[in-house]
Amino acid sequence: MKGKDELRLAYGLAFVLLLIGVLGYAALPPRVPDQPVRMVFKNKAGQVLFDHKEHSSPLGYGYRCEDCHHDIEEEGERPSSCGECHMPEDGNGLGRSDAFHNLCQGCHDQSGLGPVDCSGCHVL
Amino acid sequence: MVNEKLYAGAHAPFWHNGSSIRAKSYNVIMAALPAALMGIYLYGVPALRVLALAVSSAMIWEWLVNRVMRKPTTIGDCNAAVIGLLLGMLFPATMPWYAVILGTLLAIVVGKQIYGGIGCNPFNPTLVAYAMLLLSWKGLLDFDAMLVNYDFGVNMVYPIGALKHFGPEVIEEYRLTDLFMGRQAGAIGATFGLGLIIGGLYLIIRGYIRWEIAVSFLAGVFVTALLFNAANPAKYGGPVFHLLSGYTLIGAFFLVTEDSSSPVNFVPMLIYGAGAGFLTVLIRNVGFFVDGVVFAILMMNLTNPLLDKIRPKALGRRIDYA
Repeated sequence: MKGKDELRLAYGLAFVLLLIGVLGYAALPPRVPDQPVRMVFKNKAGQVLFDHKEHSSPLGYGYRCEDCHHDIEEEGERPSSCGECHMPEDGNGLGRSDAFHNLCQGCHDQSGLGPVDCSGCHVL
Repeated sequence: MVNEKLYAGAHAPFWHNGSSIRAKSYNVIMAALPAALMGIYLYGVPALRVLALAVSSAMIWEWLVNRVMRKPTTIGDCNAAVIGLLLGMLFPATMPWYAVILGTLLAIVVGKQIYGGIGCNPFNPTLVAYAMLLLSWKGLLDFDAMLVNYDFGVNMVYPIGALKHFGPEVIEEYRLTDLFMGRQAGAIGATFGLGLIIGGLYLIIRGYIRWEIAVSFLAGVFVTALLFNAANPAKYGGPVFHLLSGYTLIGAFFLVTEDSSSPVNFVPMLIYGAGAGFLTVLIRNVGFFVDGVVFAILMMNLTNPLLDKIRPKALGRRIDYA
């Protein structure tokens, strides 16, 4: 293959791939499932990766939505985000850190399943 | 004595054997395809768009730098495409577009062209860009956080990260065959062990990469991980897990073997590869970062000129004419 053919092929390759890349990003919205699969809770003690599917699936722990999302009043209602009420540094009411610790650590402690040590969930 | 033949060579005209940078680039791309295609199969269009944008933007940056520096256009040799492809393969499928474009800019301009172009770069351009992105936006290369919406029906915690944070008992939650066949959370083109090994063997057989570097790197990882594991099995994972997780295999066959930043002599190649393998496990086990491959190879890139001072003994014997 001669120099000019090489260049033509490279230009063609760059153009086609650029088109695929731009169209891919422009046309495809970020993947958001109906229910979260996993969630990352970011905090100062080290982020926590929470497997939502494992906790909610009947094949996993099988918890119902309202077992954790206490604001659900009717079945099928979409829960609000925990952080909407439980603020990171909230003087009034239960803060975000305490809310999560009470819920997660409390349940792990009671059931005997899941980690209760800090390093069992928090990852730096 | 002075008429003695000391060196024999053929006279011109010479015949070109057909090898070229372009042929090498095409072969490296072909060898990387199995792993890249598996990434596209697992993650779908998001992986395809990252790879496509990485390759095309790397070629465009190269073309632009050529124009600005008034040098001949070199994108025809497809070396920029290889750099872009390998960088894309190290990214999670959900990498945002601006990070991909910035990554290829760093790889082509800061990693390669600033030193004078192909063959002049002291560090692997792909890894220079990756390291800069990792240090600037750690969250973008956190596979646990970036792949929260994907589920392959296996433990989706990034294996090498899980080992570092939770200890070797997590290894039981992963099947080695799953790790080998790419059923694990990770980068687009770094998880399909079988594909990477096939691609790497192809490149070794065709002579495009040196087996000494790839094998010594894998041996370095294996032996170091084995020693750590033997010293404290409750704290450090076994060598096979280290080989099949993180960037080990893509590092062995596609990153540590980069021509310009690796030695050319036999003993230096062995030291270079083994050193990179040793540092990889050292960073993983006692260092700060989850995966050590990137910084281990960059650190060994630094030693490359020094290592190549270890030269084979010259043929012949010394003759004193005086």
